[in-house]
Amino acid sequence: MTDPIPVVPPAAPAAPPPPRPFLGLDAERRHILYAVLGAILVFAVGAAVRPGFASPASISAVLLVASFVGLVAAGQTFVILIGGIDLSIPSVLNAAAILLVTSTLGDDSRAVYGITLTLAMGAGLGLLNGVGIAILGVPAVIMTLAMNGIVEGLMLGLSGGLTCQACASYAPPVVQAAVHGSLLGVPLAIYIWVGIIVIVSIVLSFTTFGRRTYAIGNNAVASHLAGINVPLTTILLYALSGFFAALAGILLVGFGGQASLEMGTPYLFESIAAAVVGGVSILGGRGHYLGAAAGAVSLVALATVLQTMNMPEYGRDILYGVVVIALLLAYGREQEGA
Amino acid sequence: MPLSAPAPTNPALAGIAPTDRHLLRALAQNFGLVLSWAVLVLAILIYCAIYYGQLGTLPGNFEITSTVNNTMPLVLSGLGQTIVILTRGLDLSVGGIIDLTNALAALYLGDTLQSAILGSIAILGVGALLGFVNGALVAFGRLQPIVVTIATLSIYQGLAIMILPQPGGTIPPEFSALLVNSGAPWALLYCVAFGLLWMMLRRSRLGVSIYAVGNDPAAATANGISLIRTRLAAYVLSGVASAGAGLFLAASSTAGDATTGNGYTLTSIVAVVLGGVSLFGGRGSGIGAIAGALLTTMIVNILFFAQIDPLYQSFYEGLFLVLAVVLTMAVGRLVKRRRR
Repeated sequence: MTDPIPVVPPAAPAAPPPPRPFLGLDAERRHILYAVLGAILVFAVGAAVRPGFASPASISAVLLVASFVGLVAAGQTFVILIGGIDLSIPSVLNAAAILLVTSTLGDDSRAVYGITLTLAMGAGLGLLNGVGIAILGVPAVIMTLAMNGIVEGLMLGLSGGLTCQACASYAPPVVQAAVHGSLLGVPLAIYIWVGIIVIVSIVLSFTTFGRRTYAIGNNAVASHLAGINVPLTTILLYALSGFFAALAGILLVGFGGQASLEMGTPYLFESIAAAVVGGVSILGGRGHYLGAAAGAVSLVALATVLQTMNMPEYGRDILYGVVVIALLLAYGREQEGA
Repeated sequence: MPLSAPAPTNPALAGIAPTDRHLLRALAQNFGLVLSWAVLVLAILIYCAIYYGQLGTLPGNFEITSTVNNTMPLVLSGLGQTIVILTRGLDLSVGGIIDLTNALAALYLGDTLQSAILGSIAILGVGALLGFVNGALVAFGRLQPIVVTIATLSIYQGLAIMILPQPGGTIPPEFSALLVNSGAPWALLYCVAFGLLWMMLRRSRLGVSIYAVGNDPAAATANGISLIRTRLAAYVLSGVASAGAGLFLAASSTAGDATTGNGYTLTSIVAVVLGGVSLFGGRGSGIGAIAGALLTTMIVNILFFAQIDPLYQSFYEGLFLVLAVVLTMAVGRLVKRRRR
């Protein structure tokens, strides 16, 4: 740093350091940029292949679908940041959708009660995950996989396999309007998502809770020694994951009108994929929600482009799997060199 | 821990004859294994008692045969999962490998016994290949097993639906009869055979490597064990075992279904944990996992007789998984405290 100013400024430097600064960004910010650029690239390619793909209506449709993935990915990012994972998302999301329609029976006057109840159930189930992991010491994969089974069994059993009378109810019109209604030509759900992006980013970057989260992800023992209440933070993060899964369930049932079985299944892998694409390190401690949100948009946009080219639904599963493995290999290698 | 060194210093063992002492130590070392078989016997007794109480007779040939036949896919996938978990890994793609091999079986086993046997050998090879992909990503790519196998689960499930969009296809009846004999519980012989195979694996070079890597990867490397080769072999064996499970499912349902394996990711882990295998690697036995698989089926049978709606099945599987993990960890802590 104290070298004299070279005579020829752009002279080739000897032995470039492995993490070469791209636009002066560190690896984490660079990955967010890649995810955003990826989304733009997909829209550009989509527009070239299918004229009209980059039209405002089409972009807002893609963003609407991405908002469901993005909301789930908010919770998944929280737990991945501490080196955990939440495999209970499919059942929690699905149970939330069913609880919302059965508790409101499509009645606007019960909407507040139903939404509160549903979000509380999501947070409560997440809390139980956190207690199992942080207090009882069950590995996160096992605890959340078991919770997925527990919630699935209860959901199927209590609703009689979704044959109960109340199960056929529609989401209250208010909830449907919160998804489909638009302000300045943009669906309301996207505003909700943008609000969540801002809140989550502020929480992670500028609050003690956020700093604690990164600290635990980097070194749980050191965090404990530094006076952080690791179990409490862990429990809160899993509760948040359950909360966001429930929120996505509410919006999804508002989007589709009715609840169905298996509606949560795709969101587990998509939420993990969005986080990975956005540069959130699966080992914990590194990454930003903004990246995961951009990852959700690029993944959904990619799947939509390919769908317009008649790619069948299973193609999406294969594609996301391949993308995740390719990025894990690319980003993993980068960290090794650093 | 020295295996054969005499330990007369332990005052708790002072008054016990040497042969009994060996027995006690063997019991303590295989505590999980012994416990899981004991619980299995207990579950069978409870099942028989409930059966007798409701129907006035003991379970007959038909019940035993169908129970054992239904458990075979779980025995196989549990054995594969055990090998991976012993190396401190986890294979969440088990369900996807079963889906894909099951779909392949329904399409390509042909109509004769001969073609079916050749086809099933090829399908076991496909299972090995799918496991190899997992293992290569974990071992060479040094990636987290959980995320790798979730990603490959998505890929394998997608491929399964691609080749078999609707349940269907055909399985030659001779092949079904060979693998799944509905007349008598011959499948118990498979369990015995798998147990013997496990003992051979346990004493082989690979088996020792698997346990060594699971107990202490650094020490294993220092002793000349290749982490890459051991992990790769573990995932390949898991792939082959899951392909075997896919073949068994195809033989017993006489058709294929590209979603039939989905539940096995959860249940294979349930069987492993109920079989006394440590989720932290290095401890446990495939023979325990066989007991764990049979126990999982017995629990479902008991619930069925207790008039519980089968829709609740995954609720109980999840609940027993958590309970078993918490209990084994509590027992482990107790044993450690007494040793001190």
